[in-house]
Amino acid sequence: MESQKAALTLLVAPVVGVVAVFCLAPLAVLFCYSFFHVEFVEIAKQPSIGNYVKVAESETYRWLIAKAVGTGLSVAAIAGVIGYPVAFFIAKRVVLLKSVFLTALLIPLYTGDLVRIFAWRVVLGAEGVLNSFLLWTGVISEPIQALLFSTTATLIVLTYNYLPFMVLGLWLAFESLDDRLLEAAADLGAGRWATIRRVILPRTTPGLLAGGLMVFILVIGDYLTPQLIGGSSGVTVISAVNDLFGTAFDWPLGSAIAWSLLATMVALIIAAGLLFSRTRLGRSIISGG
Amino acid sequence: MPSATINEGPSGKPLLVARALKKFYGGEPAVRGVDFSIEHNSYVTLLGPSGCGKTTILRMIGGFEAVSAGTLELDQRSLVDVSANRRPVNTVFQSYALFPHLTVAENVGFSLSLKGLDRATIQTRVAGALAMVRMEAMSGRWPRQLSGGQQQRVALARAIINEPKLLLLDEPLSALDRKMRKDMQIELKDLQRRLGMTFLHVTHDQEEAFALSDWIIVMNRGVIEQQGSPEDIYRRPASAYVADFIGGANLLSGKIAGVKGELAAIDTEFGTIEAPCTSGLNAGQVASLCLRPEQISLNGNGRAISGAVSHVVFQGAESLIEVEAGKSRLQVRCERTPPEVGSTIKLTFDPQRAWIAAGAMGQGS
Repeated sequence: MESQKAALTLLVAPVVGVVAVFCLAPLAVLFCYSFFHVEFVEIAKQPSIGNYVKVAESETYRWLIAKAVGTGLSVAAIAGVIGYPVAFFIAKRVVLLKSVFLTALLIPLYTGDLVRIFAWRVVLGAEGVLNSFLLWTGVISEPIQALLFSTTATLIVLTYNYLPFMVLGLWLAFESLDDRLLEAAADLGAGRWATIRRVILPRTTPGLLAGGLMVFILVIGDYLTPQLIGGSSGVTVISAVNDLFGTAFDWPLGSAIAWSLLATMVALIIAAGLLFSRTRLGRSIISGG
Repeated sequence: MPSATINEGPSGKPLLVARALKKFYGGEPAVRGVDFSIEHNSYVTLLGPSGCGKTTILRMIGGFEAVSAGTLELDQRSLVDVSANRRPVNTVFQSYALFPHLTVAENVGFSLSLKGLDRATIQTRVAGALAMVRMEAMSGRWPRQLSGGQQQRVALARAIINEPKLLLLDEPLSALDRKMRKDMQIELKDLQRRLGMTFLHVTHDQEEAFALSDWIIVMNRGVIEQQGSPEDIYRRPASAYVADFIGGANLLSGKIAGVKGELAAIDTEFGTIEAPCTSGLNAGQVASLCLRPEQISLNGNGRAISGAVSHVVFQGAESLIEVEAGKSRLQVRCERTPPEVGSTIKLTFDPQRAWIAAGAMGQGS
């Protein structure tokens, strides 16, 4: 046993090393930079927490971080509501064409961000497919300008972009949901809604959380979609960081914002995890398995 | 053929009646039209090898499979269009199907909380049901913390708490080890008596069926081969299939030479033998003489067959010896020191205690 453990450690160590160097090191570099400041066109390496104070005092940056979190949560929630029945359908009702459905679900991901975004601009634009159709049917007499370059448009396209991740997480949860539990619930007198509420929902919550977490993180990291679809409403905290690293040449402040965002997200996720683990459902998932 | 041990319900009518019940899966018949009834307060077993349709029948009664054709009535009301959650029937599933996210007490109280009963009532009744299966101490545990036998008891408590008219048990003991299985058999039977509930138990284990049942329904390939009391099935098997499936009879096949009331004469490779027979036999029909291992003796009087000992299996108090006689291999019980392998011995039996069943093994039935 002992020697096996040692061998395992030896085998795993290089992987852990690579992950540490390539994933954590850049973040660590940013973390160091966040304590420096810019003097004229040079980065002065005298540590201070001035940048963090700036972020905390600036209403704009606070708002941008809150907005990112809000957008992430909204899209995760919408994707959950849409993805839940889709995942149930693929896992429990499709037998022969399961892989076809799953591949079809992933096809949009193959096309690349920009292609998808411009496709949506064609659909939602003032002279786009949707407006033309509505004009043709006579439902509206003038094109709806708000279809594109609005928060709604951003939410629609973000949901479209990241829905597959939610569905995949949920699909796995539904696949591992034992049909016999559903039979047992019916046997004990549960109708459709009682079965969903008391058995299906609790059993698939881990999938919902995993999918939700993925969507949440990916949405916060996406600045192209809000910028190209949201128009003037499309400023995000990431695009602010992008500007600071680029044109504004203020790497320290950019790093401080990036780390503030990261800390906020980690804190939120830990807080949510702790809260969930104290609920009845959370306890049952942790101990009941 | 009503059995003496079966009580009649208040109405005098059977609890469950199935007539010409059929189930097809995409044209493939799984149940080919079966008729049976289940009396109130009885322990009934559906016995047969895997794939004989016994579980399909159970699932149709539970409401998990639609009935393809025929009728299914519980207390003279059709079950066919009643959904599973509205049937006064509960099931103990083969894999137990306990909800992993609920504690033992919550699992057992599931059906009561669905009915919206108050917490105190649920607690009292859950405690009662758990006491019934001696699991009071486990009420706060999660299912995965329990052994197979304990999960089994919880599944049982969960199924009986709602006092169903009929309790369905789908191979409930198959996942347990031998010792545990024996103990649970006694407990199941005891529980059924104490509750006065009707149990319908599906199994492929004939020993289990004998240990538990008031009434056994033997199935094969989607049809009922025979139904009756355990004694009927064992002593008076209707077909060679039943005789072989139940307790391993020695079968000597041959043609019926003639029938006289309850007796028939059969031409076997050891000559014509006259013995009691199942009803409905006709001269010329293929049939089998059934000799249970314990009906053959090594040193008695009666019809004699001689053969060579080919195997001796030590079984503790007695030995099972296999004798090659003509084209047949006969199994015989032997309580004293068994004869040596290879030696020729004389087997005797009393034809009056033997039985002639329809059909022969290997030609269907």
